[in-house]
Amino acid sequence: MKELKHRFSSGFFIVLALALLIFGSNNTSFVNAVRGQITDFFVPILSVASRPLQAVDDLIDWTQQVAIVFSENKRLLAENAQLKQAQITSSQLAIDNQRLKRLLNVGEGQVNIIAAARVVSDSESPFFKSVLINRGTDDGVLKGQAIINEDGIVGRIINAGSSSSRVLLATDINSHIPIKLASSGINMILEGDNSPYPKLGFLPIGEEISVGDLILTSGYGMVFPPDLPVGQVLEITEEGIKIKLSAKLYNLNYVSIVGYEIIRSSVTRRDDRSSKGKK
Amino acid sequence: MMKGPESKSERGFRWALPSISILGLIILMQLPYRISFLDNLLPFLPMAAVYYWGIFKPNLLPVSAVFFLGLLQDILSGGPLGMMALLLILVRLFVIQQGRRFLEREFLFSWLVFIIVALIFGLATWAISSIYIREPQYIWDALGQSMLTIAIFPAIVWGLGLFRLMLVAEKR
Repeated sequence: MKELKHRFSSGFFIVLALALLIFGSNNTSFVNAVRGQITDFFVPILSVASRPLQAVDDLIDWTQQVAIVFSENKRLLAENAQLKQAQITSSQLAIDNQRLKRLLNVGEGQVNIIAAARVVSDSESPFFKSVLINRGTDDGVLKGQAIINEDGIVGRIINAGSSSSRVLLATDINSHIPIKLASSGINMILEGDNSPYPKLGFLPIGEEISVGDLILTSGYGMVFPPDLPVGQVLEITEEGIKIKLSAKLYNLNYVSIVGYEIIRSSVTRRDDRSSKGKK
Repeated sequence: MMKGPESKSERGFRWALPSISILGLIILMQLPYRISFLDNLLPFLPMAAVYYWGIFKPNLLPVSAVFFLGLLQDILSGGPLGMMALLLILVRLFVIQQGRRFLEREFLFSWLVFIIVALIFGLATWAISSIYIREPQYIWDALGQSMLTIAIFPAIVWGLGLFRLMLVAEKR
């Protein structure tokens, strides 16, 4: 009798797991809401549990910084002098750029930093590349928003709970990010393939690309603001073009959640109103 | 190596120790280690723990607990919902089908059987993930995880052995 009961309960849970595998893959709003609530509960635990790792990481960073402090200071002084020159040039270009945009009536993209967040969990799976961050809808985070860090793009929010969110990394096979070649402005798609180096898709025939070329976000898709650093071309083979991302996705600590929207200039809004009035 | 006093009864919260140990390993697997190669090679720690408790304390690890722990791992890792729940139940079922006396005999024998279980487990995660993503994935990543799990199995047995000692109630 006991054996029969055991067999029945095992069978029941196997069927339940199979049903979840088949129907849970649709990622319905109910499934996402339940996932969000459970991760909300575990994020504080993961946050506390990851503190020792954080402390070790900080110690290693500190030791490395102390070891190179003199050479780094020398390099930074030289870089500072160069940057001062570049700042003067770029401020002149920014004024020119604004004037030309006003003349052409180009819609200005507005980038809002929604929040800064800490990465508290990593999927640590070869087939699913995502991380959990400790910010959610309570902090203004929404599904689809972009995640960046100081080096470049990281990924986008795919599920937001009230106090935690899941970020699909740019290396995941489901990640597709509109990008462009910095030198020529050719638009392409960055396609994750679960390897550390995502590949380039939709390179127009006849266009030239070479190792070391800089890749930026194009701003298409309205998720990532334009001109954010993505990475550099790592290798070009018959199988495809591989990109080395600027951000080290295996070493994420703090990230920023970014909202992006196009704000039309006052000239356009006035034109829109007048055309509606005429109708 | 794997033998110990098992005859005494469990009291208090001790009945939950196997589940707590597996929960701890699930949380350990989700921490951000920030090491480049580790995200593809993290061992299947909860699977090894289910195998261990399935041999020594199957009555303290009911199939419902295995299901919910597997589901929790799926939710925290962002993987397909139900994958780990299904595979962990199958590991438990296999161990119980073999019978405790069969696997409890010697550590080396148990380890040899575990090699087969871990390899099949790795292949199954690869197959389910490939079907879920609808694209064949790189098989050696999953097998690498299996190999690492096999390699550290003695350490897991030692660690869980300490937990098992806590299950032995003091004579009153």
